Amino acid sequence: MTIQITKTFSLLLAGAALASLVAVQPVLAASPPDTLVEGFAFDDIISVDPGEAFELSTAEITGNCYSMLVRLNPDKTSEVVNELAESWSVSDDKLTYTFKLKPGLKFASGNPITAEDVAFSMERAVKLDKSPAFLLTQFGLTGDNVTEKAKAVDPTTFTLTVDKPYAPSFVLNVLTATVAAVVDKKLVMSKAKPVTPTDKYKYDTDFGNDFLKTGYAGSGPYKVVAWKANEAVVLEANPNYFGEKPKLKRVIYRYMKESASQRLALEKGDIDVARNLEPGDMESVSKKEGLKVTSAPKGTVYFISLNQKNADLAKPEVREAFKYLVDYDAIGETLIKGVGTIHQTFLPTGQLGAIEDKPYKLDVAKAKELLAKAGFKDGLSVTFDVRNIQPVTGIAESFQQTAAQAGVKVEIIPGDGKQTLTKFRARKHDLYIGQWGSDYFDPNSNAETFTSNTDNSDDSKNKTLAWRNAWDVPELTKETQSALLEPDSAKRAAIYEDLQKKVLADSPFVIIYQQVEVAGYSDKVKNFKLGPSFDTNFVYTVSKD
Amino acid sequence: MTTGFETAPVSRRDWLLSDRPTSRMQARLGRAYMIWLRFSANRLALAGLGLILALILVAIFADVLAPFDPVQGDLRNARLLPPGTGSYLLGTDDQGRDILSRLIHGSRLTLAVVGLVAVIAAPLGLLVGTVAGYAGGWVDAVLMRITDIFLAFPKLVLALAFVAALGPGIENAILAIAITSWPPYARMARAETLGVRHSDYIAAVRLMGASPFRIVLRHVMPMCLSSLIVRVTLDMAGIILTAAGLGFLGLGAQPPSPEWGAMIASGRRFILDQWWVATMPGIAILLVSLGFNLLGDGLRDALDPREAGR
Repeated sequence: MTIQITKTFSLLLAGAALASLVAVQPVLAASPPDTLVEGFAFDDIISVDPGEAFELSTAEITGNCYSMLVRLNPDKTSEVVNELAESWSVSDDKLTYTFKLKPGLKFASGNPITAEDVAFSMERAVKLDKSPAFLLTQFGLTGDNVTEKAKAVDPTTFTLTVDKPYAPSFVLNVLTATVAAVVDKKLVMSKAKPVTPTDKYKYDTDFGNDFLKTGYAGSGPYKVVAWKANEAVVLEANPNYFGEKPKLKRVIYRYMKESASQRLALEKGDIDVARNLEPGDMESVSKKEGLKVTSAPKGTVYFISLNQKNADLAKPEVREAFKYLVDYDAIGETLIKGVGTIHQTFLPTGQLGAIEDKPYKLDVAKAKELLAKAGFKDGLSVTFDVRNIQPVTGIAESFQQTAAQAGVKVEIIPGDGKQTLTKFRARKHDLYIGQWGSDYFDPNSNAETFTSNTDNSDDSKNKTLAWRNAWDVPELTKETQSALLEPDSAKRAAIYEDLQKKVLADSPFVIIYQQVEVAGYSDKVKNFKLGPSFDTNFVYTVSKD
Repeated sequence: MTTGFETAPVSRRDWLLSDRPTSRMQARLGRAYMIWLRFSANRLALAGLGLILALILVAIFADVLAPFDPVQGDLRNARLLPPGTGSYLLGTDDQGRDILSRLIHGSRLTLAVVGLVAVIAAPLGLLVGTVAGYAGGWVDAVLMRITDIFLAFPKLVLALAFVAALGPGIENAILAIAITSWPPYARMARAETLGVRHSDYIAAVRLMGASPFRIVLRHVMPMCLSSLIVRVTLDMAGIILTAAGLGFLGLGAQPPSPEWGAMIASGRRFILDQWWVATMPGIAILLVSLGFNLLGDGLRDALDPREAGR
């Protein structure tokens, strides 16, 4: 009798405990077998409209849920492969690109995919003119001419006309960006809301932007079912997908900010994949039985830049000396272990023309000598704007220590991302540590920002990294532009190699490492891989035991 | 009973405890001795005093005591070593710096914060409180409403706002904490002042023609001092915690200075695997706060006028 009562009572207790758990936080006890649950810090998502989104986390969502004409080849990143396109050709004057679509393709809604949809996707991206629009407008597309320059010739033929004879590899690489994702015109326009045209926005429709901010109109292996800011993103398999069907029915990205909480959830089985592990947690996950880690280099490089408006930092010897004051090896072995590899050139490994030269290492004596030559025998003092996140604060502190050995007094000014970035963009910093992620998988993205400064005045429209550090380099700017128009890939690569060597030798950029994205996952998850870019972190190949 | 009263040599103790002091000096020393006797009878208070004295000594001799450089670490070879590895008694942090050396040098910052806040806030509160209490009327109303405004905000939130406006840094943190900690002292000093302003000796001083300024400074303030000292000592722990809180949020001391709160913040990332990085400065803060609290408790027991003479 007593036992009976105790049992009932404990059952009641357990029920109450469970109920309270559910009430406090909708925790999944163990992830369901047909669902992949990822812990992911996706606080950067502001919209899942491919014409508007330009954030790293959104790139992954768009990459998995939308299709483009062409895609980056994840196995050989200097190439592109066809996705919606069956074939493409470029005219002899290198101005007109013609794409033939694969026949019989359907959107998730069941509507057929036609060249009309492709043209519409370009049109709305250009006309909406959100952050990623520059990728398309750099080809000379404007709101006024986009319907002429990007148009459907017949239901399966799309042509794009660009304003200059760019290298075809450049144009195709840009078209792999998520802004060129093809949306379902019929569905989107049925949800479009009328707007009153103004001087800034001349159109009487929002092209479905309001709907697509949280909605979905694509044709990828998964559909976006829901996105709740800082809560979850839910994807569901698209039954109308034209390629190999995804193995899992659902993918849930659960918002988890802290590395430690992701690690704990992964160890308990609440999530299958932890996406934002810091080096320490990474290491313990890799040692734990039943868990695995994977990594992939990404197109983001971290650097310390020296503002050339500061007369001290503008001396070439000082620029060079600072490159000898970073303890690359120790940083690589400790602070960024697993999340980055030491890299000193501005093109990330994997992009066309990238070279792996690493001529610099910590050499205090050499730096002292160079500083003495520049007239700073007794050292100098500079301020250093540092964003309050790891690993940059750790690197900044390490640099502060090594620089002190050469008599360079570094005063760290910490701030949040917005504060430091605002100061950096206004060219008011001395030293700044930051990162540059390629906007699209083409060497021009990084080359342009590191070497091109078309107008060094304070109110210049061009805001490249070279401009932000007041590095006035007309020759390099010209060279970068010439690479853009070089049709021969080998010759184009050679120009980028030359640019990288020049930047390595003389620039105000102390490039430290290339980001490696890491993830820890349960060994129940099969075929989990990270891609070379954020929009190639595919989940549709993943299955579970 | 071998010696008579008159011939007995007066011991120092008896001289101090004499109930008929022959000079002002003897009276004052006698009173101080009584306080010390009451204080030293309290073991915990002595322990607190010991902790604080140790802190002061460590801060003075930091350069001699610290086995390593507090800001120069060995990133490559000595990162995140557990306590007791080689000569790193308390282990090393994520920059390969010796935690013990950083704690030792950090004691200077802690003492500086506590000392400066006490020097700024206590006299300010005392002045506002005694003036308000003695003057009464609209002066009292205005001063006390200002005090109310400051009291209306949680201390840490107000300090955060000040630091955010002034810019991060240890000096600004000290200023912010001082600005936020004077109101309780003002309230207390006012209450004490109201208690004595109508007493006979004040009336006597006034009859002798003393100016209000002189009365407040020489005859009211001293009456508030003992409770003020107790209150400030008890608040020290809170001040240390606030300073550490600001440091933890990145608004106090800036890297690479070894401020304890900032050390905890940077060690937080390693709490699962390298517990000592955040724990050691935490223990230091705990010990020093405990020391100040015990000392303050002992002082209250010793100084409280209601307890005196019993």
